[in-house]
Amino acid sequence: MSSVKETDRLIRDLAHELATRRGRTAPPLLRRLLFVAAQSLAIAIALVFLLYGVSPELMVTVRSAPFHHKSACTLALACGGFFLVREAARPEGKMERLLVALLPGLALLALGGATDASGLRTLGLSGVAFPNCIGSIVLVSLPALAMIVGTLRTGAPTRPIMAGAAAGLLAGALGAAAYGFACKQDGGLYVAIWYSAGMLIVAGLGALWGRRALAW
Amino acid sequence: MENHEQTWAEAMRAGRRGDAAAYEDMLGEIANVLRRLVRRRLARLGLDIHETEDLVQEVLIGLHTKRHTWDEGRPFLPWLHAIVRHKLIDAVRRLSRAARRRRDITPDQWAMLSEVPAEDFDRALVNLDRHVNGLPFGQREVVRALAIEGASVRATALKLQTSEGAVRVTLHRALQRLTTAANLELSKLFGDKA
Repeated sequence: MSSVKETDRLIRDLAHELATRRGRTAPPLLRRLLFVAAQSLAIAIALVFLLYGVSPELMVTVRSAPFHHKSACTLALACGGFFLVREAARPEGKMERLLVALLPGLALLALGGATDASGLRTLGLSGVAFPNCIGSIVLVSLPALAMIVGTLRTGAPTRPIMAGAAAGLLAGALGAAAYGFACKQDGGLYVAIWYSAGMLIVAGLGALWGRRALAW
Repeated sequence: MENHEQTWAEAMRAGRRGDAAAYEDMLGEIANVLRRLVRRRLARLGLDIHETEDLVQEVLIGLHTKRHTWDEGRPFLPWLHAIVRHKLIDAVRRLSRAARRRRDITPDQWAMLSEVPAEDFDRALVNLDRHVNGLPFGQREVVRALAIEGASVRATALKLQTSEGAVRVTLHRALQRLTTAANLELSKLFGDKA
């Protein structure tokens, strides 16, 4: 139990520290977050090519409509997740209001699922496709998750679990976007279900981790 | 409160330009406001109001370490409130838990705790000093600051340039060591009955 005098001493110490540590200002969070998100996507894509190799039909794949759909859904969700993470980094941030930022991505996913006329099976071409797909999305998202949580730690999130979930959502969406390069399952319903599952798992991991890592 | 918004925001900006005096004044004013607020809240929750100063310090340190997260384009008070709320919720949770634990102590245990110790005080002090000196450097620093000089965890963390968590962990380890040493001493005095 301390006294008012000790508080005054602490205040002097803090002011002194401010005076001596000046000029060591970090770049604004928005810029750092943008940089980290771009870096995360690049690392996830590199991991996908490392794990699955560069397929000879890659050029055909990236020009196909299903690939564009997957990229649009996941990148739109990543944008929404980005806004959420940025909000989470501020102590007075109100993430609920920004949940609408996820709507475009979710709408694209739902639209793809609802208009799925490909006749492809929901479980994928073979029975083992979907666990593989979820696992890959989670795996390639992990470096992104670590980097985004690390950046959030330099902010001041006052709701660690929500902030961690937002970080996981952003990481998962970036990972899913990267996985699109290797994914051979083109059905809209397949993407709507299993990509979402993968991203949700990463968001859950982020929430669990955030609870500890983002407390201050 | 409406001019606090302006004056404190201005002081924060001045602090960013390196004006430590303006920043110090602001922290002092905030501490005064906090002191009243925290004391009232602790009293209402039936918690120990002697913890007030500790909580005030905790909030001030939170404000200081996260000061870069205030965006000059946004109002200052909502930012400050969010930090105060965050720190107080945490602290109140901790204090309530501690209070519950205290209530779980039986009257016999209380009696034992408040009993006048039978052993020789001077010798006990000498022994304490000897045992503390036997601790590794980091633990020694922490025990000296906290237990002997009576500084707060926050002040100690600041002084040793580490986190509060690290100070608590170090203290815990040091206490374990001291307990082991004390038990050894006791068993030497009383044979193996102790």
